Amino acid sequence: MVKNILQDIGGIGLYGVISLCMFFAVFSGALLWAALHRRAFCQRMSALPLDDEKGSSYE
Amino acid sequence: MNVETFKYDNRIVRAFAIATVVWGIIGMSAGLLAAVQLFWPEANLNLAFTTFGRVRPLHTNAVIFAFVGNGMFMGIYYSLQRLCKARMYSDRLSWLNFYGWNAIIVAAAITLPLGLTSSKEYAELEWPIDIAITVVWLAFTVNLIGTILKRREKHLYVAIWFYIATAITVALLHVVNSLAVPATAWKSYSIFAGVQDALVQWWYGHNAVAFFLTTPYLGLMYYFLPKAAGRPVFSYRLSIIHFWALIFIYIWAGPHHLLYTALPDWAQSLGVVFSVMLVAPSWGGMLNGLLTLRGAWDKVRQDPMLKFMVVALTAYGMATLEGPTLALKSVNSLSHYTDWTVAHVHTGALGWNGFLTFSVLYWLFPRLYDTKLFSTKLANWHFWIALLGMMFYVVPMYWSGITQGLMWKQFTKEGFMQYPNFLETVLTLIPMYRLRAIGGSLYIIGTFLMAYNLWRTALAGQFVPDVEVQAAPIARDEHLTGSQDPWGHRWLESKPIMLTVLATVAVLIGGLVEIVPMYLIKSNVPTIAAVKPYTALEVLGRDIYIREGCVGCHSQMVRPFRSETERYGEYSKSGEFVYEHPFLWGSKRTGPDLHRVGGKYPDAWHYNHMDDPRTTSPGSIMPNYGWLLTQKLETNSLPARIAALRKVGVPYPEGFEQRALAELKAQAGTIVTNLKSGSIDAQADKEIIAMIAYLQRLGTDIKPPSGGNSAPQVEPTAAPMN
Repeated sequence: MVKNILQDIGGIGLYGVISLCMFFAVFSGALLWAALHRRAFCQRMSALPLDDEKGSSYE
Repeated sequence: MNVETFKYDNRIVRAFAIATVVWGIIGMSAGLLAAVQLFWPEANLNLAFTTFGRVRPLHTNAVIFAFVGNGMFMGIYYSLQRLCKARMYSDRLSWLNFYGWNAIIVAAAITLPLGLTSSKEYAELEWPIDIAITVVWLAFTVNLIGTILKRREKHLYVAIWFYIATAITVALLHVVNSLAVPATAWKSYSIFAGVQDALVQWWYGHNAVAFFLTTPYLGLMYYFLPKAAGRPVFSYRLSIIHFWALIFIYIWAGPHHLLYTALPDWAQSLGVVFSVMLVAPSWGGMLNGLLTLRGAWDKVRQDPMLKFMVVALTAYGMATLEGPTLALKSVNSLSHYTDWTVAHVHTGALGWNGFLTFSVLYWLFPRLYDTKLFSTKLANWHFWIALLGMMFYVVPMYWSGITQGLMWKQFTKEGFMQYPNFLETVLTLIPMYRLRAIGGSLYIIGTFLMAYNLWRTALAGQFVPDVEVQAAPIARDEHLTGSQDPWGHRWLESKPIMLTVLATVAVLIGGLVEIVPMYLIKSNVPTIAAVKPYTALEVLGRDIYIREGCVGCHSQMVRPFRSETERYGEYSKSGEFVYEHPFLWGSKRTGPDLHRVGGKYPDAWHYNHMDDPRTTSPGSIMPNYGWLLTQKLETNSLPARIAALRKVGVPYPEGFEQRALAELKAQAGTIVTNLKSGSIDAQADKEIIAMIAYLQRLGTDIKPPSGGNSAPQVEPTAAPMN
C-alpha cells in the first residue's frame, strides 16, 4: 500500500546491492583481521585490564 | 628502563559516581511519577509542570543522560587512566566535563517541566542547551583523545575503542539532529521537515541507544568484568569482530522505528535488514562477556557485583534479540505504538544499563575509599529486589502491549471493529499499569539500599584522591619490523588517530547511505497540492501541543492497515508532512492517533475534553488541561516564529508577519462563535483557542472536515507548489 503512494527511486536495486556488499566487505574484513592476530598478542591484550595497577598503593 | 611515577585521578571518578547515584534516584522517581499518572491522572497534582507529557521527557532525559551519562563518565574516567597508564590529559577538562554536564542536566530538569522542548525524543532540550552539550562533549572528547595520546601502554585495549566510537558518534548524532533555527530564546524549529525529520530523528534516536547506552557500557563491561572475575577476556579476537561489526551495522538500523509509516519503503527495508544482522555482533559480545566467567562461576554466587554483571549481560542479550524481532515488519505491525516497546526499552534500561551501573558502583566504592563494602548482604538484597522490580515492570508491559495490539486489530465476524472505542482498549490495561508502578517502586527501593550501602562504605573508609603508580613510557624508537607484525595489527591497534578515523568512516557510511538519498531524490516525498502551511493561530496551537508533550501519548501517523483506516480514517501520506517542523508522528499510543482528528468533533467537545477529559470520555486517563482555558495566548513572538519557520522552508509569503495577528484574531473569533453555539462562553485570547484551531486542522488538508464545526481555514497565501 505504501508503494502505491511512493514512486520508486531510480537505481534503488543497485543501491541495495552496494549496501549489502559494503556490509559483507566490512564484516569479512573484521573476521579476517581478527583471525590473523597472533595468539600471544591476543593473550596479552585480553589480560590487559588485570595488570593495570601494578605498583599502585592499593589493589 | 626509564620508569615514570604519576597519579591516577580518583576525585573525578568519585564526583561522577555520586552524581550517578543521585540522578539515578531522581530520574527513576520521575519515571514512577509518570507511571502512576497512567492509572491515577490526578497524581499530576493538577499542575502543568508535573503532568505526564512534561514528566515523561524529564524521566527519559534523567535516566539516559544523567544516570547513565554520569555512570558512563565514571567508568571511563576510572578505566581509561588505568588502561592508558596515564592520568587524564587535563584535570581542567575533566572538571569542565563534570560541572558542564551536570549543569546541563540541571537546565534540563528546569526547562522540561516548563514545557521548553523540541519534542524530538531523547533530544528534547532546546537550542541553548544543545550548544552547551556540544561544548561539553568536545571537552570530553579532547580529554579522551589527549589521554590516549600521552599513554604509557602502547596498545589500545578494546574498551578504549568503544569509548572512541562513543565520543565521535554521539557528537555527530547530536549536532545533525539538533540542527534548528531559533525563533526565540527558548524556541526553535528543526531544519528538517516531516519524513526527513522523522528519518534524522530516528537515525539519532536509535543510535543514541547504540552509542550512548550501549557502546560505552560495552567498554565498561570489557574492563570491569575481567577485573571482577579475575580472569582475562574470553576472546580478544571476538571482541575485535564485536566492535567493528557493531559500530558498522548499528547506524543503519534507525528506520525500523518507522515501519509502515510514510517513510519510503526502501529506507524501511534497509532498516529491517540491518536490524536482523545486528543480532550477530550483539550476541558475540554477550557471549564473550558470559564466557569470560567460565571457571569463575563460584565467584558469582558470592559476589553481588558479579551477579549484577551477569544479569546485565543476560538483559543485553535478551534486548538485542528482541530488538531485531520487533524490527520485523509483521511483528512491528502489532507491537508498534504499544507498551511492548516500553517493555523492550526497560529490559535494556533497567537490566543492561541499570544493573551494569550498580555493578561498577559496588566495585568502585570500596576501592575509592580503600575499604570493604559496608554490607554484602544488603547488596544481595538490592540485587533480588531490583530483579523482582524489573520482572514486575517488564512482564505486565509485555502483557499490556500484546493485549492492546491485538485489541486494536480485532474485527467481529461481521467485519466490524470489535473494539471501536479506543478508550475500551486503554481501560483493559489499567491493572497492568498498577503492577508496573509496583515494579518501578521496588527497583527504586533497591537503588536507595545501594545508596545507603555506598554511603556507609564511604564513611568507613578513607578516600584515596590520587593513586600513585609507576610505569615506563612507550619507547618512541620502537619500530615493528614486517616479521614482527606482518598484518599490521599492532600498528593499527597502537594508532589512536587512525583507529578514530576508521571508526568515523564506519559510522558515517550507514548514516550517509540512509539520509543523503532522502535529500537528493525528490520523488521520496511526493507533494500534494492541497497541503498548505499552518495558519498563525494553528502555529501557536501546535507549539502548545509540543509544549505539553502531547506527542508522548498521541501519534499522528495512520498506518496503512484496515484496522487503522477503519478507526482513524485515511492513512497518512508523506506529502502531508512537508511543513511539519518538527514532525510529530510519535512513537506511542497511550491515547488514540490524532492525525485525522480534525473536524471529527465540534469545537465545544475539544474545549470540554481539554478541561476535563472524563466529561466527554468517562474513565479516560488523560490529564486535565485546565490551564489552557485560563492562560493567555502569547502572541508577541508570533512574527519571530513565522520568520523562523520561513527560514526552515515553510513558504509563508514575505510580509505575512504583519497581517498574521489580524488573521489569528479572525480565526480565533470564529472558534469563539462556534463555542458559543455549544453554550461555552470562551475568550478569544486564551491558549485553548489556538489548541482547538490546531486540532481541528489536523489531517484535513486531504480530507474535507465532516461533522462538527471546525474552524474555517484562514490560509496564509502560500507560494505555489509543484
